[in-house]
Amino acid sequence: MKLTFNDLSFRYKTHTILQAVSLEVPKGSLTAITGPSGEGKSTLLSIVNHLWRPDEGARVSGDAMARFDSGVINLLSPHLDLPSLRRKAAMVFQNPVPLPFSIFKNVALPLAFAGIRKKEEVHRRVERALIRSGLWNEVKDRLHDRAALLSGGQQQRLALARALVTDPEILLLDEPTSSLDATSREHIEAQLLTLKTHCTLLLVSHSEAQVERLSDRIYQLKAGNLKRMR
Amino acid sequence: MKRWRRLLLHGGALLSTLGLLSGVFFFLGHIVLKGMPSLSLALIFGDTSPLKALLFTQRVFNGLFPAICGTLCLVLLSVVLALPAGILTGVWLSHFGSGRAKALLSLCIDTLAGVPSIVVGLFGFSFAILLHKISHGTVGPSLGIAALTLSVLVLPGIVRNTQLALAAIPRETHLAVSAMGATPVQAIVRVYLPMASPGIFRGAILAMGRCAEDTAAIMLTGVVATAGAPYALFGRFEALPFAIFTIASEYSGPEELAQGYGASLILLLLCALLFGLSALIASRFHPDTP
Repeated sequence: MKLTFNDLSFRYKTHTILQAVSLEVPKGSLTAITGPSGEGKSTLLSIVNHLWRPDEGARVSGDAMARFDSGVINLLSPHLDLPSLRRKAAMVFQNPVPLPFSIFKNVALPLAFAGIRKKEEVHRRVERALIRSGLWNEVKDRLHDRAALLSGGQQQRLALARALVTDPEILLLDEPTSSLDATSREHIEAQLLTLKTHCTLLLVSHSEAQVERLSDRIYQLKAGNLKRMR
Repeated sequence: MKRWRRLLLHGGALLSTLGLLSGVFFFLGHIVLKGMPSLSLALIFGDTSPLKALLFTQRVFNGLFPAICGTLCLVLLSVVLALPAGILTGVWLSHFGSGRAKALLSLCIDTLAGVPSIVVGLFGFSFAILLHKISHGTVGPSLGIAALTLSVLVLPGIVRNTQLALAAIPRETHLAVSAMGATPVQAIVRVYLPMASPGIFRGAILAMGRCAEDTAAIMLTGVVATAGAPYALFGRFEALPFAIFTIASEYSGPEELAQGYGASLILLLLCALLFGLSALIASRFHPDTP
């Protein structure tokens, strides 16, 4: 998977959030975007999985292409198959948002959305996603407990498993450790490093130390301009 | 000064709560004390054997059994008619509706919520007359028409409860579910409706209470004093609130009035039973249920 943005601009009503941004994310890398809060880092991520809403006063121009195994997709096309795109470009948010279901159902839900219903297949994929997110050993005996009972760090790894369960080609990470303690953050960071072999990672973080530790490429977003730092 | 204000606020709130609670206890206590002495199998089944009445092999003439059956059928039919329509309208208003169409529908629902039940009953009566003409006298005021009328009466409550329960789902949940690759319909069916189910069932319980107690609407649409247990969808029927109304307006002595209190107590117990059953069903639908 390769992601390429060329001269990408994003305006929200009268505010310019991204100004002629160019970015290249190679396959199998961890690319980080850092910078001060409120500068448009999350907006940049939302363009990849099309979570921005064109009818809410947002205007976007330029080129944004994603090369998936199945072919090249123009991310700015108005005719995108959004559910399919979002399964290929999964996202982990700053807050884990555990749904009020069991741990198992939380992870299995994206498979139901994808139309995967075979019990054995669902169980196999849920187990693999929980192993990849580093949560399996802690929850394997209580998969049917409520997800809300997990600790903050565990909930974030649950969100990571939920994103990984559909085997995405790109994983979008929006400040995934900013609300966690040091131990939980280390847990997540360790998992992210192992995930590079399975998919491409695009991380947004305001912690310069974290992006230094984890990233192959680092970009800084400031006042709408993106600058490559490493 | 601030301390006085706080004391005044706390005192006012405490007094209001106590007033409300004592009102409820007084009301319930009054019904229970007055109704308990007359509560007997004879009040429900009259001279008929309870077993034969329950098996519907012998008709009950001087007991409340037909009215109890009529109320149960009426409540269940009304809620079955109103619930799907109310939930779907609530979903449309909260997820798909926009602009003038949404504003117009919201206005219609708010207006319908404010219409007195006797007016809705009049609508049901007019509808029954129309059906009577079309069907050459085979369909008229009946259990089915009364249930349809009551379902119109309780529809706004179900719509608003569904809409509010769906609107209470946080924006970050919407974003997370969209990011999982859900289509709008999948998100609603698999996530939002289960999350909103406690609110939706609250609406359904309120609707059941309204259907069980409303007398004005059914008086115009098919309820009678003596019809026996409900026998057909388009047949006349008896109902507890109408039985209570008849006893209260026509009683000739304290014994008959006591029977009215007994009927009120039975209606309260029936409502409690329906609420309990609804809560049980709601708990099975609750998203936290494994």
